[in-house]
Amino acid sequence: MGLLTKDFERAPCTVEISHKFESLHAHVRFNNGAVIYPGDEVKVHGEEIMAPFGEIVVEDREATIIRASKLEQLWTRLTGDFEVMELCEFSFSEEVTL
Amino acid sequence: MNIQNNAPNPDAPTAGATHTADATTVEEGLAIQEEQAKFDSVAATEVAMQNTLLTPRFYTTDFDELDAIDVSSVREDWDKLIDQMVSDPNKGHFRKNEDWDHVDWDGMEPQLKKEFIDFLISSCTAEFSGCVLYKEMKRRGANKDITQLFQLMARDEARHAGFINDALREAGVAVNLGFLTQKKKYTYFRPKFIYYATYLSEKIGYARYITIFRHLEAHPEHRFHPIFKWFEEWCNDEFSHGEAFALLMKTDPKLTSGKNVYWIKFFLTAVYATMYVRDHQRPAFHKALGVDPDWYAHEVFTKTSKLTEQIFPITLDIEHPRWQPTLEKLQKANVDLAEATASGRFFAKLGAQARAAAAFVSLFTIPVKKHQVPASTRLEPAY
Repeated sequence: MGLLTKDFERAPCTVEISHKFESLHAHVRFNNGAVIYPGDEVKVHGEEIMAPFGEIVVEDREATIIRASKLEQLWTRLTGDFEVMELCEFSFSEEVTL
Repeated sequence: MNIQNNAPNPDAPTAGATHTADATTVEEGLAIQEEQAKFDSVAATEVAMQNTLLTPRFYTTDFDELDAIDVSSVREDWDKLIDQMVSDPNKGHFRKNEDWDHVDWDGMEPQLKKEFIDFLISSCTAEFSGCVLYKEMKRRGANKDITQLFQLMARDEARHAGFINDALREAGVAVNLGFLTQKKKYTYFRPKFIYYATYLSEKIGYARYITIFRHLEAHPEHRFHPIFKWFEEWCNDEFSHGEAFALLMKTDPKLTSGKNVYWIKFFLTAVYATMYVRDHQRPAFHKALGVDPDWYAHEVFTKTSKLTEQIFPITLDIEHPRWQPTLEKLQKANVDLAEATASGRFFAKLGAQARAAAAFVSLFTIPVKKHQVPASTRLEPAY
């Protein structure tokens, strides 16, 4: 990882999407043990994965991990904290007047 | 696309529960869901639905620091709380039953419908994001106490998200989970900020839901949607999650002393101010509930302050003469900012930003109220 350059990595991953009444969730797991660091970007390749209501979709896919540069990683560590407010239930709506 | 037909976990129990609301573990829930999936045929109706893409963030944190937590100083309280969460008193609660009245979506006043759907989507996204964060912490942690807690919380959040999603479907809104294949960036939160923010978010969530629930108990004529009937059990989950974070913070006194008290003050101010501003964006929603948003905010802040005394050494002085007028200024600046941004007026935007920042500083500099933190942390929901 360079100070200003990004590295690209391919990683096999498993995507699980549950669009069920009692559990709405979606997770990506890297199957080669790849670890994500602050500022890294992940792109799962292929078609958009859509789980119809009432179903769970599990798919093995290929992902590209775009490693953040050293500087970007530092920046994300310094500034990421302020996005923590998003976890509040009332923080999400982008529109000020509906 | 591969729609799964086999149990994802061979160890998952298959006998007993027949509805995922009764499922004890995520794995069992998934196994039951697969069975049900065979009977679901809704693709046809989904075509006509309004599509809402969920866009949660993805997070990393310092997982070594998380693993280093030692709960032995609060072991007794910790085990009791975890046992209660494992016993899952709300299992089976989040399903529609005969109390789920028919909702006349077509007859609903358009502005109310818009605001109410916005409320449901933001609630759903928050639950969903909580699930993503907790699951990530569960997956990458190695400390058994911590991973078990996060697994249990992820279960609850996914259950809540699914329940809200169903209410949205009735309204003709389909939640799109296709975000995973978009490029997404992982942001970073320091563990202590996760504790402060999620603790507060769970406790203020409890205060928000219970305040509405009690209000509608007294005024059932304002209950324009059945989901409000589920708020009591719902907020008890939020309450337990908050308790867990309170115990986590209790294990390290540094988290609630010294300069961290300023961080606590910052988070309290930011969370209260955000809630105030956001709630005032939904006037029709509050009118339909028969709730004055200013009264509601004050009520929720009062309850939250009382609850957070269990672990935070300070509370905000919400009775201070500067508090309410400054919140109103912040709200006004926020509306002006949105208008200026929409119409592309650069200096108006700059001015509104400056006013919002000044209002926040003014709120932040109101002297706090200090108190002695009780030796025993644990609380039970009492509102």
